[in-house]
Amino acid sequence: MKKSLSQRIVLSVVGVLVALAIVFPTYWMFVTSLRTPGEILSPKYDLIPTSFSFGNFATALGKDNFPTYLMNSLIVTVGSVLCALVAGTLAAIPLSRLRFTGRKGFLVLVMVAQLAPVSALFIPLFLLMRDAGLLNTLPSLLLIYFATTLPFTVWMLYGFVNGIPYELEEAAMIDGCSQTGAFRRVTLPLLGPGLVTTSVFSFITAWNEYLFALVFIQDKPKETLPVWLASFRTAFATDWGGVMAASVIYAVPALIFFLLVQRKLVSGATAGAVKG
Amino acid sequence: MTATANVTMPAGATPPASPRDAGVKRRKRGRFGDRVLPYLLLLPALAAILVLLAWPLVQVLAISFRKLDIGQLVSGKTVWIGFDNYTNTLSDPEFWTVTFRTLVFTAAIVAATILGGLLLAVLMRHLGPVVRIMVQVTLVLAWATPVIATTTVFQWIFDEQYGILNKTLDRLGFHGFIGFSWFSSGPSTLAVIGLLIVWQAVPFVTFSLYAGIIGVSREQYEAAGIDGASAWQTFRAVTWPAIRPITTMVTFLSVLWDFNAFAQIWAIREGGPDGGSTTLAVVLYLKGIAGNHFGAAGAIATLMLIVLALITGRYIQLLTRTREGDLS
Repeated sequence: MKKSLSQRIVLSVVGVLVALAIVFPTYWMFVTSLRTPGEILSPKYDLIPTSFSFGNFATALGKDNFPTYLMNSLIVTVGSVLCALVAGTLAAIPLSRLRFTGRKGFLVLVMVAQLAPVSALFIPLFLLMRDAGLLNTLPSLLLIYFATTLPFTVWMLYGFVNGIPYELEEAAMIDGCSQTGAFRRVTLPLLGPGLVTTSVFSFITAWNEYLFALVFIQDKPKETLPVWLASFRTAFATDWGGVMAASVIYAVPALIFFLLVQRKLVSGATAGAVKG
Repeated sequence: MTATANVTMPAGATPPASPRDAGVKRRKRGRFGDRVLPYLLLLPALAAILVLLAWPLVQVLAISFRKLDIGQLVSGKTVWIGFDNYTNTLSDPEFWTVTFRTLVFTAAIVAATILGGLLLAVLMRHLGPVVRIMVQVTLVLAWATPVIATTTVFQWIFDEQYGILNKTLDRLGFHGFIGFSWFSSGPSTLAVIGLLIVWQAVPFVTFSLYAGIIGVSREQYEAAGIDGASAWQTFRAVTWPAIRPITTMVTFLSVLWDFNAFAQIWAIREGGPDGGSTTLAVVLYLKGIAGNHFGAAGAIATLMLIVLALITGRYIQLLTRTREGDLS
């Protein structure tokens, strides 16, 4: 498979061009967010910025209580991820470590639930939340995001617990640990990377969610970032700098989370799905 | 780690029972509390799945046979109307237009996503480390940028007056694009939305397929090289068999996601102009929430589920079968 020098050069050029094409929208978002409104609306053709200003960020942060929307998004996202991690870990332990009647049935249920298109369910969920008096509250979103990310969380964590040899727990039990103690002291710490990877995927799902946030929340101050950002665009259609700055701020938490587990991303994402 | 594990293995003539079997035995002889324990641990997850996913799924079906508009909603009366919601929906020519559009749109973006991901994954295998990492970083950036943030960027790029695309086309000599509106017709709006969805979906597909490709042993490629196989033959004989299951999986997931895509379509032009970029997911929202016709929307949701089941049924069947075999 040795390639000649010219072949390698051609491939590298293609690779660089592809990388530029993929990165362009993200690049353009950052560049526009740093331009002054005057530069943005000038007919000048400037792919590479010559001056920087942070005025758009001030505009975005000052507009209709941006911090409130950021908080709303953080509350529902972090809350749902934590709930899914707790319920998911609790479920993954017996699924992986114990044998009991109904275990297979539960695993099949989880898998089918994972495939259910949630968007088709928003009408009964809307009615359910209305009857429960939760419509137009952040907990309604938290519950939905919890439920929609849960099957995936259970499935991933089940795989991760399976990957930790049971022999380690047995050794701890021989050394005098109880079954619970052995799990807590041996397996749980080893589960750390699995918990991080799983939570990133749940975080991204909840952080991105738009339909339920649009349907369930009617009071503006209770909106989440995606809904606010989409309406920001219509209401202030000309302020592209502000929209781009808000988009950048919105993207940063997701970028940080992705960078945290960048190397684990794919092995984690496909571990559950490819095995079959 | 392995050393610790070995210590626990009982040495002797009889082959040691696998640790998991030992666990089973202990549990069977265990106290009542031990037998209830697994169910207690499963309870939160089970309750959430049943209440928030399974029950609503049953409800969608039930609602689709009811007249449930704002009046019934307020009075709380249950009015059963049989198949009326279905006959009304199916006799509406607009429904068929939208269904056809949704199917074509889904097929096009799934095909583009898978093909793009496949080409990129293969390309990544042939790149030197520096350029490869460059490509990987850009993919992660595209993947991590939130959907609505990306949507706003695409609107900005495609803006008729100040968008960089029209400026670039003008520069390249296509002066007709000065002030050209990409959102003035349904097909071109859908093309922009499709590009946006593909751009967001390609990274996951690429990384999944690349993981499959680097799983192929170097020897297999070397053997193919010695046999004088062409690039295409090598792909057919070595790469493709290794990544086919992953390709099937990502195709299935893409169909599921793209068929139900709502955020990008709604945020770009709310299904406009004149309903030209409306898909089934948008109709569902318009009928159900914006129009308060919950019964009619229930019928549409059920029809969508049927279509989706027809498209993906074979794969779900395969998936559940292998899983059940796996679940021993």
